[in-house]
Amino acid sequence: MRLMYVATPVLAALLATAVASGASQENRHKRWVKEYTGTETCLKCHEEEAEAFFHSQHYQWRGETPAMVNSDGQKLGKLTMINDFCTNPGGAQWIGKVTNDDGKVLAKGCSTCHAGLGLLPAETPSRVQLENIDCLICHANGYRRDLYATEDGEWEWRPILWKNQEGMNSVARRITVPTRTMCLRCHSASGGGPNYKRGDIEYTLKEPDRSFDVHMAANGKDMWCVDCHAGDAHRVKGRGVDLAATDSPGHDLSCSGSCHGETPHDVPALDNHTERVYCTTCHIPVFAKDEPTDMRRDWSTITWSEEKGKYTYDVTLEQNVEPVYAWYNGSSYNQIPGQPVRRNTDGAVTMVTPDGDRADPAARIYAFKLHRGVLPVLKGKDWIMPVATEELYHHGDPDRAVRDAAKSFYGLDQVDYEWTDTVRYMGLFHEIPPAEDALQCLDCHSPDGRMDWQALGYDGDPLATRRTAASKDSGR
Amino acid sequence: MKTSTTIALACLASFVILCLAVPAPSSAALDGQELYKEYCKGCHASGSPNGEYTPLDLIQDQWTRFFDRKYERTHKDVLDASHGNRPVIEVIGPEELQAIRDFAVEHASDSENPMTCG
Repeated sequence: MRLMYVATPVLAALLATAVASGASQENRHKRWVKEYTGTETCLKCHEEEAEAFFHSQHYQWRGETPAMVNSDGQKLGKLTMINDFCTNPGGAQWIGKVTNDDGKVLAKGCSTCHAGLGLLPAETPSRVQLENIDCLICHANGYRRDLYATEDGEWEWRPILWKNQEGMNSVARRITVPTRTMCLRCHSASGGGPNYKRGDIEYTLKEPDRSFDVHMAANGKDMWCVDCHAGDAHRVKGRGVDLAATDSPGHDLSCSGSCHGETPHDVPALDNHTERVYCTTCHIPVFAKDEPTDMRRDWSTITWSEEKGKYTYDVTLEQNVEPVYAWYNGSSYNQIPGQPVRRNTDGAVTMVTPDGDRADPAARIYAFKLHRGVLPVLKGKDWIMPVATEELYHHGDPDRAVRDAAKSFYGLDQVDYEWTDTVRYMGLFHEIPPAEDALQCLDCHSPDGRMDWQALGYDGDPLATRRTAASKDSGR
Repeated sequence: MKTSTTIALACLASFVILCLAVPAPSSAALDGQELYKEYCKGCHASGSPNGEYTPLDLIQDQWTRFFDRKYERTHKDVLDASHGNRPVIEVIGPEELQAIRDFAVEHASDSENPMTCG
Protein backbone atom coordinates (compact mmCIF):
# COMPACT_ATOMS: atom_id res chain seq x y z
CA MET A 1 0.00 0.00 0.00
CA ARG A 2 2.83 2.34 0.92
CA LEU A 3 4.30 1.75 -2.52
CA MET A 4 1.06 2.93 -4.09
CA TYR A 5 1.24 6.24 -2.22
CA VAL A 6 4.68 6.81 -3.65
CA ALA A 7 3.95 5.48 -7.11
CA THR A 8 0.72 7.37 -7.75
CA PRO A 9 2.16 10.92 -7.74
CA VAL A 10 5.22 9.74 -9.64
CA LEU A 11 3.04 8.15 -12.31
CA ALA A 12 0.87 11.26 -12.44
CA ALA A 13 3.93 13.43 -12.91
CA LEU A 14 5.26 11.16 -15.64
CA LEU A 15 1.89 11.20 -17.41
CA ALA A 16 1.70 14.98 -17.21
CA THR A 17 5.21 15.22 -18.62
CA ALA A 18 4.35 12.87 -21.47
CA VAL A 19 1.18 14.78 -22.35
CA ALA A 20 3.00 18.08 -22.30
CA SER A 21 6.00 16.83 -24.26
CA GLY A 22 4.69 17.96 -27.64
CA ALA A 23 4.05 21.47 -26.40
CA SER A 24 7.25 21.72 -24.37
CA GLN A 25 9.26 20.61 -27.41
CA GLU A 26 7.79 23.51 -29.34
CA ASN A 27 8.43 25.87 -26.44
CA ARG A 28 12.02 24.75 -26.20
CA HIS A 29 12.62 25.68 -29.81
CA LYS A 30 11.13 29.12 -29.20
CA ARG A 31 14.02 29.73 -26.86
CA TRP A 32 16.70 28.05 -28.91
CA VAL A 33 16.10 29.25 -32.46
CA LYS A 34 17.31 32.84 -32.42
CA GLU A 35 17.55 33.24 -36.17
CA TYR A 36 16.85 30.58 -38.78
CA THR A 37 19.39 30.70 -41.60
CA GLY A 38 18.69 27.31 -43.15
CA THR A 39 19.34 23.70 -42.16
CA GLU A 40 22.66 24.81 -40.64
CA THR A 41 20.61 26.26 -37.79
CA CYS A 42 19.13 22.82 -37.02
CA LEU A 43 22.51 21.11 -37.39
CA LYS A 44 23.99 23.14 -34.53
CA CYS A 45 22.11 20.82 -32.16
CA HIS A 46 20.94 17.96 -34.39
CA GLU A 47 23.87 16.82 -36.51
CA GLU A 48 23.53 13.26 -35.19
CA GLU A 49 19.82 13.19 -36.09
CA ALA A 50 20.59 14.62 -39.52
CA GLU A 51 23.14 11.87 -40.21
CA ALA A 52 20.61 9.26 -39.15
CA PHE A 53 17.96 10.82 -41.35
CA PHE A 54 20.40 10.99 -44.26
CA HIS A 55 20.44 7.18 -44.35
CA SER A 56 16.66 6.82 -44.11
CA GLN A 57 14.20 6.00 -46.89
CA HIS A 58 12.69 9.45 -46.64
CA TYR A 59 15.99 10.95 -47.77
CA GLN A 60 17.66 8.20 -49.80
CA TRP A 61 14.57 6.99 -51.66
CA ARG A 62 16.29 3.59 -51.68
CA GLY A 63 17.54 1.18 -49.05
CA GLU A 64 17.90 -2.37 -47.86
CA THR A 65 15.49 -4.83 -49.44
CA PRO A 66 15.07 -7.81 -47.06
CA ALA A 67 11.38 -8.15 -47.93
CA MET A 68 11.88 -8.25 -51.69
CA VAL A 69 12.21 -11.80 -52.96
CA ASN A 70 14.17 -10.96 -56.13
CA SER A 71 16.42 -8.12 -54.96
CA ASP A 72 19.53 -10.27 -54.55
CA GLY A 73 20.73 -7.97 -51.77
CA GLN A 74 20.68 -4.79 -53.82
CA LYS A 75 19.76 -1.46 -52.31
CA LEU A 76 16.71 -0.38 -54.24
CA GLY A 77 13.86 2.09 -53.95
CA LYS A 78 11.85 4.82 -55.59
CA LEU A 79 14.99 6.38 -57.03
CA THR A 80 16.15 3.23 -58.80
CA MET A 81 12.86 1.50 -59.65
CA ILE A 82 10.15 2.22 -62.23
CA ASN A 83 6.53 2.46 -61.22
CA ASP A 84 3.31 2.65 -63.18
CA PHE A 85 2.33 6.09 -61.85
CA CYS A 86 5.01 8.74 -62.54
CA THR A 87 7.52 6.02 -63.56
CA ASN A 88 10.85 7.30 -62.15
CA PRO A 89 12.04 10.51 -60.47
CA GLY A 90 15.50 10.66 -62.08
CA GLY A 91 16.87 12.84 -64.86
CA ALA A 92 14.87 15.94 -65.71
CA GLN A 93 12.03 14.57 -63.64
CA TRP A 94 13.80 15.37 -60.37
CA ILE A 95 13.52 19.13 -60.23
CA GLY A 96 12.59 22.10 -62.43
CA LYS A 97 9.56 23.94 -63.68
CA VAL A 98 7.70 22.71 -66.73
CA THR A 99 5.40 25.37 -68.15
CA ASN A 100 2.87 25.45 -70.95
CA ASP A 101 2.86 27.99 -73.76
CA ASP A 102 0.87 30.40 -71.56
CA GLY A 103 3.50 30.26 -68.85
CA LYS A 104 1.37 28.21 -66.48
CA VAL A 105 3.48 25.92 -64.30
CA LEU A 106 2.55 22.31 -65.05
CA ALA A 107 5.06 20.47 -62.87
CA LYS A 108 7.96 21.15 -60.52
CA GLY A 109 9.58 17.74 -60.32
CA CYS A 110 9.35 14.66 -58.15
CA SER A 111 11.57 16.31 -55.53
CA THR A 112 8.46 18.25 -54.57
CA CYS A 113 7.98 15.41 -52.10
CA HIS A 114 11.60 14.75 -51.21
CA ALA A 115 12.66 15.86 -47.73
CA GLY A 116 15.57 17.75 -49.22
CA LEU A 117 16.18 21.16 -50.71
CA GLY A 118 16.80 20.03 -54.27
CA LEU A 119 20.02 18.01 -54.49
CA LEU A 120 19.74 14.37 -55.43
CA PRO A 121 20.58 12.23 -52.38
CA ALA A 122 24.17 10.99 -52.42
CA GLU A 123 25.10 7.55 -51.08
CA THR A 124 27.60 8.88 -48.55
CA PRO A 125 27.01 11.78 -46.18
CA SER A 126 28.76 15.13 -46.48
CA ARG A 127 28.22 18.61 -45.09
CA VAL A 128 26.54 19.66 -48.33
CA GLN A 129 24.17 16.69 -48.17
CA LEU A 130 23.31 17.25 -44.50
CA GLU A 131 22.54 20.89 -45.22
CA ASN A 132 20.35 19.72 -48.08
CA ILE A 133 18.02 18.00 -45.58
CA ASP A 134 14.85 20.03 -45.14
CA CYS A 135 14.07 19.40 -41.46
CA LEU A 136 11.22 21.89 -41.40
CA ILE A 137 9.16 20.16 -44.09
CA CYS A 138 8.29 17.41 -41.59
CA HIS A 139 8.79 19.23 -38.28
CA ALA A 140 7.61 22.86 -38.46
CA ASN A 141 3.98 23.82 -38.32
CA GLY A 142 3.18 26.39 -40.99
CA TYR A 143 6.34 25.82 -43.03
CA ARG A 144 5.81 26.02 -46.78
CA ARG A 145 8.32 25.99 -49.59
CA ASP A 146 8.46 26.62 -53.31
CA LEU A 147 10.83 26.12 -56.20
CA TYR A 148 13.23 28.94 -57.07
CA ALA A 149 15.94 29.36 -59.69
CA THR A 150 19.38 29.97 -58.25
CA GLU A 151 21.89 32.51 -59.58
CA ASP A 152 23.85 29.74 -61.32
CA GLY A 153 20.82 28.46 -63.18
CA GLU A 154 19.97 25.51 -60.95
CA TRP A 155 16.77 24.91 -59.05
CA GLU A 156 16.29 24.70 -55.30
CA TRP A 157 13.46 24.43 -52.80
CA ARG A 158 13.31 27.41 -50.46
CA PRO A 159 10.91 28.49 -47.74
CA ILE A 160 8.40 30.88 -49.27
CA LEU A 161 9.33 33.13 -46.36
CA TRP A 162 12.97 33.31 -47.40
CA LYS A 163 12.76 37.10 -47.72
CA ASN A 164 10.85 37.52 -44.46
CA GLN A 165 13.30 36.75 -41.65
CA GLU A 166 10.89 37.54 -38.83
CA GLY A 167 8.24 35.23 -40.26
CA MET A 168 10.84 32.56 -41.01
CA ASN A 169 12.12 32.67 -37.42
CA SER A 170 8.58 32.33 -36.10
CA VAL A 171 7.86 29.25 -38.23
CA ALA A 172 11.25 27.66 -37.49
CA ARG A 173 10.44 27.78 -33.76
CA ARG A 174 7.21 25.79 -34.20
CA ILE A 175 8.94 22.42 -34.03
CA THR A 176 6.84 19.35 -33.41
CA VAL A 177 6.78 15.67 -34.24
CA PRO A 178 5.22 15.30 -37.70
CA THR A 179 1.50 15.92 -37.59
CA ARG A 180 -1.04 14.12 -39.74
CA THR A 181 -1.21 17.17 -42.01
CA MET A 182 2.55 17.16 -42.58
CA CYS A 183 2.59 13.49 -43.60
CA LEU A 184 -0.51 13.78 -45.78
CA ARG A 185 0.90 16.63 -47.86
CA CYS A 186 3.12 14.12 -49.64
CA HIS A 187 1.57 10.76 -48.89
CA SER A 188 -1.91 11.75 -49.98
CA ALA A 189 -0.82 13.82 -52.96
CA SER A 190 1.52 11.22 -54.45
CA GLY A 191 0.87 9.98 -57.95
CA GLY A 192 -0.20 13.31 -59.37
CA GLY A 193 -3.49 14.00 -57.59
CA PRO A 194 -5.34 13.64 -54.29
CA ASN A 195 -5.39 9.97 -53.30
CA TYR A 196 -4.37 8.99 -56.83
CA LYS A 197 -1.64 6.61 -55.81
CA ARG A 198 -2.38 4.81 -52.58
CA GLY A 199 -6.17 4.84 -52.45
CA ASP A 200 -6.32 4.47 -48.67
CA ILE A 201 -4.52 7.68 -47.64
CA GLU A 202 -6.89 10.56 -48.29
CA TYR A 203 -6.71 14.19 -47.17
CA THR A 204 -9.81 13.42 -45.15
CA LEU A 205 -7.48 11.77 -42.62
CA LYS A 206 -6.40 15.21 -41.50
CA GLU A 207 -9.58 15.48 -39.44
CA PRO A 208 -11.67 12.38 -40.11
CA ASP A 209 -14.84 11.28 -38.44
CA ARG A 210 -14.86 7.96 -36.61
CA SER A 211 -17.07 6.51 -39.35
CA PHE A 212 -14.18 7.17 -41.78
CA ASP A 213 -11.25 6.04 -39.65
CA VAL A 214 -11.53 4.82 -36.06
CA HIS A 215 -7.82 5.29 -35.43
CA MET A 216 -7.30 8.86 -36.56
CA ALA A 217 -10.66 10.41 -35.74
CA ALA A 218 -10.80 12.91 -32.89
CA ASN A 219 -13.90 11.02 -31.71
CA GLY A 220 -11.96 7.77 -32.13
CA LYS A 221 -8.37 7.22 -30.99
CA ASP A 222 -7.09 10.50 -32.46
CA MET A 223 -3.85 8.81 -33.49
CA TRP A 224 -1.20 10.41 -35.65
CA CYS A 225 0.74 8.59 -38.39
CA VAL A 226 3.83 8.57 -36.16
CA ASP A 227 1.98 6.68 -33.42
CA CYS A 228 2.31 3.54 -35.55
CA HIS A 229 5.10 4.38 -37.97
CA ALA A 230 7.80 6.11 -35.90
CA GLY A 231 10.86 3.91 -35.57
CA ASP A 232 14.35 4.51 -34.24
CA ALA A 233 16.83 6.96 -35.73
CA HIS A 234 14.38 8.67 -38.07
CA ARG A 235 13.42 5.34 -39.64
CA VAL A 236 9.82 4.40 -40.35
CA LYS A 237 8.17 1.15 -39.33
CA GLY A 238 5.93 -0.62 -41.80
CA ARG A 239 6.42 -1.18 -45.52
CA GLY A 240 3.95 -0.76 -48.31
CA VAL A 241 3.64 -4.08 -50.12
CA ASP A 242 4.77 -2.41 -53.35
CA LEU A 243 7.81 -0.68 -51.89
CA ALA A 244 11.17 -2.22 -52.66
CA ALA A 245 13.02 -1.14 -49.53
CA THR A 246 12.33 -1.60 -45.84
CA ASP A 247 13.22 1.41 -43.68
CA SER A 248 13.30 -0.46 -40.35
CA PRO A 249 14.33 -4.05 -41.06
CA GLY A 250 13.32 -6.36 -38.24
CA HIS A 251 10.69 -3.97 -36.90
CA ASP A 252 7.54 -5.09 -38.63
CA LEU A 253 4.28 -3.29 -38.13
CA SER A 254 1.04 -5.16 -37.67
CA CYS A 255 -2.40 -4.63 -36.16
CA SER A 256 -1.87 -7.47 -33.72
CA GLY A 257 1.51 -6.17 -32.47
CA SER A 258 1.04 -4.27 -29.23
CA CYS A 259 -2.54 -3.18 -29.92
CA HIS A 260 -5.02 -5.85 -30.92
CA GLY A 261 -3.45 -9.28 -30.36
CA GLU A 262 -4.12 -12.32 -32.53
CA THR A 263 -7.62 -13.09 -31.23
CA PRO A 264 -9.31 -9.74 -30.68
CA HIS A 265 -12.94 -10.58 -31.44
CA ASP A 266 -14.30 -12.49 -28.43
CA VAL A 267 -16.12 -14.52 -31.07
CA PRO A 268 -14.40 -17.86 -31.81
CA ALA A 269 -15.80 -18.03 -35.34
CA LEU A 270 -14.08 -14.73 -36.14
CA ASP A 271 -10.89 -15.38 -34.18
CA ASN A 272 -10.53 -18.65 -36.07
CA HIS A 273 -9.96 -16.59 -39.19
CA THR A 274 -6.98 -14.57 -38.03
CA GLU A 275 -4.39 -17.27 -38.62
CA ARG A 276 -5.07 -17.16 -42.38
CA VAL A 277 -6.93 -13.89 -42.92
CA TYR A 278 -5.32 -10.54 -42.12
CA CYS A 279 -7.39 -7.87 -40.34
CA THR A 280 -7.61 -5.56 -43.36
CA THR A 281 -9.42 -8.18 -45.43
CA CYS A 282 -12.59 -7.76 -43.37
CA HIS A 283 -11.98 -4.30 -41.95
CA ILE A 284 -11.41 -2.44 -45.24
CA PRO A 285 -14.63 -3.18 -47.16
CA VAL A 286 -13.88 -0.40 -49.66
CA PHE A 287 -11.18 2.20 -50.28
CA ALA A 288 -11.09 5.66 -51.89
CA LYS A 289 -14.08 6.60 -49.80
CA ASP A 290 -13.98 10.38 -50.30
CA GLU A 291 -11.59 10.94 -53.17
CA PRO A 292 -11.39 8.73 -56.26
CA THR A 293 -8.17 6.86 -56.82
CA ASP A 294 -6.20 6.04 -59.96
CA MET A 295 -7.02 2.43 -60.90
CA ARG A 296 -5.51 2.46 -64.39
CA ARG A 297 -3.00 4.79 -66.05
CA ASP A 298 -2.08 4.53 -69.70
CA TRP A 299 1.01 6.51 -70.73
CA SER A 300 0.58 5.53 -74.38
CA THR A 301 -2.69 7.44 -74.75
CA ILE A 302 -2.16 11.17 -74.34
CA THR A 303 -4.85 13.80 -74.74
CA TRP A 304 -4.98 17.57 -74.39
CA SER A 305 -6.89 18.86 -71.37
CA GLU A 306 -8.26 22.35 -71.94
CA GLU A 307 -9.18 22.57 -68.27
CA LYS A 308 -5.67 21.75 -67.03
CA GLY A 309 -3.84 23.47 -69.88
CA LYS A 310 -1.67 20.43 -70.47
CA TYR A 311 -1.43 17.03 -72.11
CA THR A 312 -2.42 14.23 -69.78
CA TYR A 313 -2.25 10.46 -69.62
CA ASP A 314 -5.40 8.39 -69.86
CA VAL A 315 -6.55 7.62 -66.35
CA THR A 316 -9.39 5.67 -64.80
CA LEU A 317 -10.44 7.09 -61.43
CA GLU A 318 -12.73 5.11 -59.15
CA GLN A 319 -14.36 5.70 -55.78
CA ASN A 320 -15.57 3.27 -53.11
CA VAL A 321 -13.60 0.47 -54.70
CA GLU A 322 -13.76 -3.11 -53.41
CA PRO A 323 -10.27 -4.48 -52.78
CA VAL A 324 -8.86 -7.57 -54.45
CA TYR A 325 -7.54 -10.33 -52.22
CA ALA A 326 -4.32 -12.31 -52.35
CA TRP A 327 -1.98 -14.31 -50.15
CA TYR A 328 0.92 -12.35 -48.67
CA ASN A 329 3.69 -13.55 -46.39
CA GLY A 330 5.36 -10.16 -45.83
CA SER A 331 7.59 -10.31 -48.91
CA SER A 332 6.96 -9.22 -52.49
CA TYR A 333 8.28 -9.54 -55.99
CA ASN A 334 9.11 -6.17 -57.59
CA GLN A 335 10.04 -5.83 -61.24
CA ILE A 336 13.64 -4.57 -61.39
CA PRO A 337 14.68 -2.26 -64.24
CA GLY A 338 17.34 -3.77 -66.49
CA GLN A 339 16.04 -7.30 -65.96
CA PRO A 340 13.65 -9.15 -68.31
CA VAL A 341 10.04 -8.54 -67.33
CA ARG A 342 7.89 -11.22 -65.71
CA ARG A 343 4.34 -11.54 -66.98
CA ASN A 344 1.18 -13.05 -65.51
CA THR A 345 -1.15 -15.43 -67.33
CA ASP A 346 -2.91 -12.46 -68.97
CA GLY A 347 0.38 -11.25 -70.39
CA ALA A 348 0.60 -8.20 -68.14
CA VAL A 349 3.95 -7.30 -66.61
CA THR A 350 3.83 -7.90 -62.87
CA MET A 351 5.32 -4.68 -61.49
CA VAL A 352 4.63 -5.88 -57.94
CA THR A 353 3.04 -9.06 -56.64
CA PRO A 354 2.75 -10.22 -53.05
CA ASP A 355 4.65 -13.40 -52.21
CA GLY A 356 2.94 -16.44 -50.69
CA ASP A 357 0.12 -18.86 -51.41
CA ARG A 358 -2.34 -21.06 -49.62
CA ALA A 359 0.32 -23.68 -48.91
CA ASP A 360 2.63 -21.10 -47.31
CA PRO A 361 2.03 -21.19 -43.52
CA ALA A 362 3.42 -17.66 -43.17
CA ALA A 363 0.96 -16.23 -45.68
CA ARG A 364 -2.42 -14.71 -44.94
CA ILE A 365 -5.08 -13.23 -47.18
CA TYR A 366 -4.71 -9.45 -47.41
CA ALA A 367 -6.70 -6.65 -49.08
CA PHE A 368 -5.09 -4.92 -52.06
CA LYS A 369 -5.60 -2.14 -54.52
CA LEU A 370 -4.80 -3.63 -57.93
CA HIS A 371 -3.39 -0.89 -60.11
CA ARG A 372 -3.19 -1.43 -63.85
CA GLY A 373 -0.97 0.53 -66.19
CA VAL A 374 0.42 0.76 -69.69
CA LEU A 375 4.18 1.23 -69.91
CA PRO A 376 6.85 0.77 -72.58
CA VAL A 377 9.01 -2.38 -72.71
CA LEU A 378 12.34 -2.41 -74.55
CA LYS A 379 12.21 -4.97 -77.34
CA GLY A 380 15.03 -7.49 -77.39
CA LYS A 381 16.06 -6.89 -73.79
CA ASP A 382 12.48 -7.07 -72.47
CA TRP A 383 13.21 -4.32 -69.91
CA ILE A 384 10.50 -2.17 -68.41
CA MET A 385 11.05 1.48 -69.36
CA PRO A 386 10.25 4.80 -67.71
CA VAL A 387 8.57 7.78 -69.38
CA ALA A 388 9.74 11.41 -69.11
CA THR A 389 6.34 12.34 -67.80
CA GLU A 390 6.78 15.95 -66.71
CA GLU A 391 7.94 17.24 -70.11
CA LEU A 392 5.20 15.16 -71.68
CA TYR A 393 2.63 17.41 -70.00
CA HIS A 394 3.98 20.19 -72.23
CA HIS A 395 4.83 18.54 -75.57
CA GLY A 396 2.25 15.74 -75.54
CA ASP A 397 4.38 13.28 -77.54
CA PRO A 398 4.60 9.88 -75.77
CA ASP A 399 7.23 8.56 -78.22
CA ARG A 400 9.54 11.48 -77.44
CA ALA A 401 8.87 11.00 -73.71
CA VAL A 402 9.89 7.32 -73.92
CA ARG A 403 13.05 8.11 -75.87
CA ASP A 404 14.05 10.95 -73.52
CA ALA A 405 13.62 8.67 -70.51
CA ALA A 406 15.49 5.78 -72.18
CA LYS A 407 18.43 8.13 -72.69
CA SER A 408 18.49 9.49 -69.14
CA PHE A 409 17.63 6.23 -67.32
CA TYR A 410 19.34 3.53 -69.38
CA GLY A 411 21.76 5.68 -71.41
CA LEU A 412 20.22 4.39 -74.67
CA ASP A 413 20.17 6.57 -77.79
CA GLN A 414 18.25 4.21 -80.08
CA VAL A 415 15.34 2.23 -78.73
CA ASP A 416 12.77 -0.11 -80.18
CA TYR A 417 9.93 -0.59 -77.76
CA GLU A 418 6.32 -1.67 -77.41
CA TRP A 419 3.58 -0.66 -75.00
CA THR A 420 2.44 -3.32 -72.56
CA ASP A 421 -0.12 -3.78 -69.79
CA THR A 422 1.13 -3.84 -66.20
CA VAL A 423 -0.30 -4.79 -62.82
CA ARG A 424 0.75 -3.72 -59.32
CA TYR A 425 -0.60 -5.01 -56.01
CA MET A 426 -0.66 -2.31 -53.35
CA GLY A 427 -1.48 -3.22 -49.76
CA LEU A 428 -4.36 -1.44 -48.05
CA PHE A 429 -3.86 -0.66 -44.36
CA HIS A 430 -5.55 2.65 -43.56
CA GLU A 431 -9.01 4.17 -43.15
CA ILE A 432 -10.44 1.42 -40.94
CA PRO A 433 -14.16 2.03 -40.29
CA PRO A 434 -15.92 1.01 -37.05
CA ALA A 435 -16.15 -2.74 -36.47
CA GLU A 436 -19.87 -2.77 -37.26
CA ASP A 437 -19.01 -1.69 -40.81
CA ALA A 438 -16.58 -4.56 -41.39
CA LEU A 439 -17.46 -7.30 -43.86
CA GLN A 440 -20.04 -9.80 -42.67
CA CYS A 441 -19.86 -13.58 -43.14
CA LEU A 442 -21.99 -13.62 -46.29
CA ASP A 443 -19.91 -10.93 -47.95
CA CYS A 444 -17.40 -13.71 -48.60
CA HIS A 445 -19.18 -16.96 -47.85
CA SER A 446 -22.06 -16.91 -50.29
CA PRO A 447 -22.52 -17.68 -53.99
CA ASP A 448 -22.32 -13.95 -54.76
CA GLY A 449 -19.50 -13.33 -52.30
CA ARG A 450 -16.57 -11.11 -53.19
CA MET A 451 -13.82 -13.73 -52.77
CA ASP A 452 -12.36 -15.39 -55.85
CA TRP A 453 -11.75 -18.69 -54.08
CA GLN A 454 -10.19 -20.39 -57.11
CA ALA A 455 -7.66 -17.59 -57.45
CA LEU A 456 -6.80 -18.08 -53.77
CA GLY A 457 -6.12 -21.78 -54.31
CA TYR A 458 -9.41 -23.28 -53.13
CA ASP A 459 -11.80 -25.46 -55.09
CA GLY A 460 -14.60 -23.20 -53.92
CA ASP A 461 -15.84 -21.44 -50.80
CA PRO A 462 -14.05 -23.41 -48.03
CA LEU A 463 -17.02 -22.97 -45.69
CA ALA A 464 -19.38 -24.50 -48.24
CA THR A 465 -16.88 -27.30 -48.89
CA ARG A 466 -16.66 -27.99 -45.16
CA ARG A 467 -20.47 -28.00 -44.81
CA THR A 468 -20.81 -30.42 -47.68
CA ALA A 469 -18.20 -32.71 -46.12
CA ALA A 470 -19.90 -32.47 -42.73
CA SER A 471 -23.31 -33.30 -44.16
CA LYS A 472 -21.82 -36.29 -46.02
CA ASP A 473 -20.26 -37.47 -42.75
CA SER A 474 -23.51 -37.08 -40.83
CA GLY A 475 -25.41 -38.89 -43.61
CA ARG A 476 -23.25 -41.95 -43.43
CA MET B 1 -39.14 73.10 -65.72
CA LYS B 2 -40.05 70.77 -68.47
CA THR B 3 -41.91 67.58 -67.63
CA SER B 4 -39.13 65.42 -69.04
CA THR B 5 -36.57 67.17 -66.84
CA THR B 6 -38.79 66.67 -63.80
CA ILE B 7 -39.14 62.98 -64.57
CA ALA B 8 -35.38 62.62 -65.08
CA LEU B 9 -34.64 64.36 -61.78
CA ALA B 10 -37.20 62.20 -60.00
CA CYS B 11 -35.62 59.06 -61.45
CA LEU B 12 -32.17 60.22 -60.43
CA ALA B 13 -33.39 61.02 -56.91
CA SER B 14 -35.06 57.61 -56.65
CA PHE B 15 -31.88 55.94 -57.84
CA VAL B 16 -29.79 57.80 -55.25
CA ILE B 17 -32.26 56.92 -52.49
CA LEU B 18 -32.30 53.28 -53.58
CA CYS B 19 -28.53 53.18 -53.63
CA LEU B 20 -28.35 54.64 -50.15
CA ALA B 21 -31.03 52.28 -48.91
CA VAL B 22 -29.17 49.14 -50.01
CA PRO B 23 -27.22 47.90 -47.00
CA ALA B 24 -23.46 47.69 -47.36
CA PRO B 25 -22.37 44.15 -48.16
CA SER B 26 -21.03 42.15 -45.25
CA SER B 27 -17.34 41.25 -45.42
CA ALA B 28 -18.29 37.60 -45.68
CA ALA B 29 -20.12 38.31 -48.93
CA LEU B 30 -17.18 40.18 -50.42
CA ASP B 31 -14.42 38.55 -52.39
CA GLY B 32 -11.25 39.37 -50.50
CA GLN B 33 -9.05 38.18 -53.34
CA GLU B 34 -10.70 40.49 -55.86
CA LEU B 35 -10.55 43.39 -53.40
CA TYR B 36 -6.88 42.67 -52.72
CA LYS B 37 -6.22 42.84 -56.45
CA GLU B 38 -8.24 46.04 -56.84
CA TYR B 39 -6.94 47.99 -53.88
CA CYS B 40 -3.56 46.51 -52.88
CA LYS B 41 -1.86 44.99 -55.89
CA GLY B 42 -1.54 48.32 -57.73
CA CYS B 43 1.05 49.55 -55.23
CA HIS B 44 2.45 46.20 -54.04
CA ALA B 45 3.01 44.21 -57.22
CA SER B 46 6.29 42.48 -58.04
CA GLY B 47 9.18 44.93 -58.18
CA SER B 48 7.23 47.75 -56.58
CA PRO B 49 9.24 50.34 -54.59
CA ASN B 50 6.53 50.04 -51.94
CA GLY B 51 7.40 46.39 -51.42
CA GLU B 52 5.82 43.31 -52.96
CA TYR B 53 3.11 41.81 -50.81
CA THR B 54 0.82 38.91 -51.46
CA PRO B 55 -0.81 36.88 -48.69
CA LEU B 56 1.93 34.27 -48.65
CA ASP B 57 4.68 36.83 -48.04
CA LEU B 58 3.73 37.13 -44.37
CA ILE B 59 2.67 34.72 -41.66
CA GLN B 60 -0.77 34.99 -40.09
CA ASP B 61 0.53 36.79 -36.99
CA GLN B 62 2.22 39.41 -39.14
CA TRP B 63 -0.94 40.08 -41.14
CA THR B 64 -2.99 40.39 -37.97
CA ARG B 65 -0.48 42.78 -36.46
CA PHE B 66 -0.34 44.77 -39.68
CA PHE B 67 -4.09 45.36 -39.83
CA ASP B 68 -4.37 45.96 -36.08
CA ARG B 69 -1.49 48.36 -35.67
CA LYS B 70 0.18 49.44 -38.86
CA TYR B 71 -2.32 49.76 -41.68
CA GLU B 72 -3.80 53.13 -40.77
CA ARG B 73 -0.50 54.62 -39.68
CA THR B 74 1.34 53.57 -42.84
CA HIS B 75 -1.47 54.34 -45.30
CA LYS B 76 -3.05 57.53 -43.94
CA ASP B 77 -1.17 59.76 -46.38
CA VAL B 78 -1.35 57.38 -49.34
CA LEU B 79 -3.55 58.47 -52.24
CA ASP B 80 -5.11 55.87 -54.50
CA ALA B 81 -4.50 56.91 -58.10
CA SER B 82 -6.89 54.22 -59.35
CA HIS B 83 -9.76 55.63 -57.30
CA GLY B 84 -9.81 59.36 -57.92
CA ASN B 85 -6.63 60.06 -55.96
CA ARG B 86 -8.55 59.77 -52.73
CA PRO B 87 -6.84 58.63 -49.52
CA VAL B 88 -6.59 54.83 -49.41
CA ILE B 89 -8.09 54.62 -45.93
CA GLU B 90 -11.22 56.41 -47.25
CA VAL B 91 -11.44 54.43 -50.47
CA ILE B 92 -11.44 51.08 -48.69
CA GLY B 93 -14.51 50.82 -46.48
CA PRO B 94 -14.50 48.88 -43.20
CA GLU B 95 -16.30 45.84 -44.65
CA GLU B 96 -13.99 45.73 -47.61
CA LEU B 97 -10.97 46.07 -45.37
CA GLN B 98 -12.22 43.15 -43.25
CA ALA B 99 -12.61 41.00 -46.37
CA ILE B 100 -9.09 41.86 -47.50
CA ARG B 101 -7.79 41.07 -44.03
CA ASP B 102 -9.61 37.72 -43.95
CA PHE B 103 -8.18 36.82 -47.34
CA ALA B 104 -4.64 37.72 -46.32
CA VAL B 105 -4.78 35.81 -43.04
CA GLU B 106 -6.46 32.75 -44.54
CA HIS B 107 -3.83 32.49 -47.24
CA ALA B 108 -0.73 33.56 -45.30
CA SER B 109 2.44 31.56 -45.72
CA ASP B 110 1.79 29.49 -42.60
CA SER B 111 -1.86 28.82 -43.46
CA GLU B 112 -3.12 25.57 -44.90
CA ASN B 113 -3.56 27.20 -48.29
CA PRO B 114 -0.91 29.83 -48.98
CA MET B 115 -1.73 31.96 -52.00
CA THR B 116 -0.60 34.88 -54.02
CA CYS B 117 -3.36 37.28 -54.89
CA GLY B 118 -3.46 35.89 -58.42
